[in-house]
Amino acid sequence: MSLTAGSRPDGTRPAAAVEEPTAALVPEAAPQKGAAHKVPWRVRLRRDRALILMTLPAIGLLVLFNYIPLLGNVVAFQDYDPYASSNGITAIFHSPWLGVEQFSRMVDDPLFWSAVKNTIVLFLLQLVLFFPIPIALALLINSVIRPRVRAVAQAIMYLPHFFSWVLVVTVFQQVFGGAGIIAQTLEDHGWSGFDLMTNADLFKFLVTAQSVWKDAGWGIIVFLAALAAVSTDLYEAAAMDGAGRWRRMWHVTLPALRPVIALLLVLRVGDALSVGFEQFLLQRDAVGVGASEVLDTYVWNMGIQNGDFSYAAAVGLVKGAIGVCLVLAANKFAHLLGEQGVYKK
Amino acid sequence: MTPNSPSASAPSRRSFLASTAVAAAAVAGGVPLLTACGGSENKDREGTTSGKAADKLLPTFVASKFADPDIASKNGSAAGYTGKVELSALAASVAKPLGSGAPFKVMSPFWGSPPKADCAYYTALDKAAGTKVTWQNQDGNTYGQKLGAVLASSSIPDMVVVPIWELVGKISNAVTAKFMDLGPYLAGDKVKKYPNLAAIPSDSWKMGIFGGALRGIPMPTASATFNIAYYRKDVFDKKGYKVPTSPDEFMSWAKEATSAKAKVYAVGDMSWTAFNVFGVRPSGTLGWHIGDDGKLTYRIEQPEYLEALEWTRKLFAAGVVHPDDKARSGDAGQRFTAGKILMYNMDMSHWYGKTAEQAKSNPDFKIEAMDIFGSDGGDPQLWASQPANIWSLIRKGASKETVENALAAANFAAAPYGTKERMLVDYGVEGTHYTVKDGVPVKNDQGNQEVVNAWVMLAAPAPYFAHPDYPDVARKQVEWEQRMGAFMKKTSTYGMNIVEPTRYANLSSQFEQLEIDFVRGNKKLSDVQQAISTWKSSGGDKLRDWYKKLIDKNGSGN
Repeated sequence: MSLTAGSRPDGTRPAAAVEEPTAALVPEAAPQKGAAHKVPWRVRLRRDRALILMTLPAIGLLVLFNYIPLLGNVVAFQDYDPYASSNGITAIFHSPWLGVEQFSRMVDDPLFWSAVKNTIVLFLLQLVLFFPIPIALALLINSVIRPRVRAVAQAIMYLPHFFSWVLVVTVFQQVFGGAGIIAQTLEDHGWSGFDLMTNADLFKFLVTAQSVWKDAGWGIIVFLAALAAVSTDLYEAAAMDGAGRWRRMWHVTLPALRPVIALLLVLRVGDALSVGFEQFLLQRDAVGVGASEVLDTYVWNMGIQNGDFSYAAAVGLVKGAIGVCLVLAANKFAHLLGEQGVYKK
Repeated sequence: MTPNSPSASAPSRRSFLASTAVAAAAVAGGVPLLTACGGSENKDREGTTSGKAADKLLPTFVASKFADPDIASKNGSAAGYTGKVELSALAASVAKPLGSGAPFKVMSPFWGSPPKADCAYYTALDKAAGTKVTWQNQDGNTYGQKLGAVLASSSIPDMVVVPIWELVGKISNAVTAKFMDLGPYLAGDKVKKYPNLAAIPSDSWKMGIFGGALRGIPMPTASATFNIAYYRKDVFDKKGYKVPTSPDEFMSWAKEATSAKAKVYAVGDMSWTAFNVFGVRPSGTLGWHIGDDGKLTYRIEQPEYLEALEWTRKLFAAGVVHPDDKARSGDAGQRFTAGKILMYNMDMSHWYGKTAEQAKSNPDFKIEAMDIFGSDGGDPQLWASQPANIWSLIRKGASKETVENALAAANFAAAPYGTKERMLVDYGVEGTHYTVKDGVPVKNDQGNQEVVNAWVMLAAPAPYFAHPDYPDVARKQVEWEQRMGAFMKKTSTYGMNIVEPTRYANLSSQFEQLEIDFVRGNKKLSDVQQAISTWKSSGGDKLRDWYKKLIDKNGSGN
């Protein structure tokens, strides 16, 4: 589901850029590749001044809220006591150093590995069962011609995205729970014991289904934007050449979507270790820790719940490091397939 | 009337992580290693203070009498007021406001949605107490997370309310480090400036000693405070059910009363009742006790601990627990009033709360408390609650004026029943927050919205029950506590505010989740047994030695 969260705003831009590089974004002085490198940096600075000024506030926020807090990761190498000094920041200087002690604790903790296993299984399931659904939905919506029907269908599909997880879980409980609509109906017909919500074995499918219900509709936005950019000339030309509905989809629509799909896939893989948080926290008691613990809830329990900040920071740090590697690898893979990916050197 | 006793919000205090003990085991030598990190300062924060050392720190007790209770305290129960109060004849406990009007900030847990900062209730109370409080109300269900962060910041509010169940991890240590010694303001006769604080029982004050100094202003609790199994008296009468008096009877009643087809399940999650029935001690410091065999054990080492869990598990397995309770979804109290379950666990506050809530919409509704039975159907073995479980504390470095204003506010909140102050704290302003009908005050909508939490969290008088609109409920509450109190024993750690060394901070944090998982069939008995033996080897046995020394030094609390 983080597919929708992280990737949407950035996703649209490269897609558009691929289709038609807009003049505004490409400096006129650099019509050919490589030419830009020959212009001295001072000239470039003057030329791009306005653009740089415009990005400064965003960079400032990024530094303030993303980069400076990164320094706090040093507590992963300490036995951090936030109350050791007058405030939590100076307490870092009063906490003893432990080296990699916290990391070896992590490696030796079977619960950490259980959380890793759950996370990976869920990621793979989401990749297979969730990722293709917004694409399919976008194709469906795109084939609807009447704008009114289309708008209504889209609105209905977006709606669950705005529900909180608490609400989603409650709705599922009322439908699929042991006292829910389905169980009650079955009960009336002589079958008893239906309870999907407390079944630890099916939990991974249940949470994937919840994610699909909540966020698949929202995920189609990016794909619809990409589809809107496909020139109708191409369809007409294909139709003239005798291409049927399926062939047009295969040879026109899907190739147009390919860069977006590759980009979202890269982002999703980079985010592989984040499969959700509230959703799992809310349902942990129903199915038990064994089935519901993922890395994010594990870190939360350790840090926020137990106050073991150093250990939680260590686990978070490892998770972050693996995430960076995954993004790099996926990006590389996208390049190998001839796609743009997230960035290029 | 303890507005929020710990059990009410216990679910929020969930110690999520099942791995801590295992993780601690992984450090193996981690205990000595972390000891080294404790530093000398931490040493002063650990342990407890009792006996003569404690007596020196305590305020002098001066009883205050404004209204004699109709039912006196017995067997550790609260006192009860069941008669009518002459509202026009209420006296003031303090002649003139004690506060100087200097502003100060209070952070306090709040269950529900807080009113506006300038609401009529806060304004009226400030005026009467001579204070100017800025309330920083925080969601009571996630209060611990907020508290941990606030204590680590450099801007701690002047006064902070800390419930005992949030003292997990390093927080109990932080309380000593961040809050001031109130001795110079309250010890001995100094307290007489604040007559209502002076009337708080010494046992409760003793619980306010952190790190060898009196820091916390207590909210006293009756020691005969136990979690209650409420049942629908009206449904029991209608269906002719007999209230169970043994675990077996309970099981057969539950099976009889459950009908999935009719959408009625017998019970919610009865874990807490099971612990009471089997005589399992509370978690936390009260869980330590020297048994008749002279051995010091923690609650999870009691054989009854596994028996209680096993019995609860059987209830779940029998399908008599509502599926939503199995999934821990929604509110059991609402299922109870809706008739979807006939029995559930909750603290004392729901007796009155549900009675008042249902009176209009559901006139047949009758709520009663089941008498706790023993595991063999005989008398139960119950364990006394600590004499105080919520404190308000004042930050180190607060000015003298701030401290005096904070104490003035606490003194106001601790006004005994039968005073003008009490009426104002509990009901607000007549005409604005409540109206009087036949001599009985009844809160209106504004009253229900504004007169919630906040002021009552600062301090409280000796425990009592009084519900002018439902005097019968107050009587039943006291009688139940007195009946149950007769079976009550105190653990060796009773009455002592004990701060465990931080290296054991997360040793037991896994058990709450483990209990939840085990009774629902998501963990095996062997998992629990394994966790207990890991607990022992990864610090439990060392913690035992620590407690042994502590009890040797301070004497047993029972």
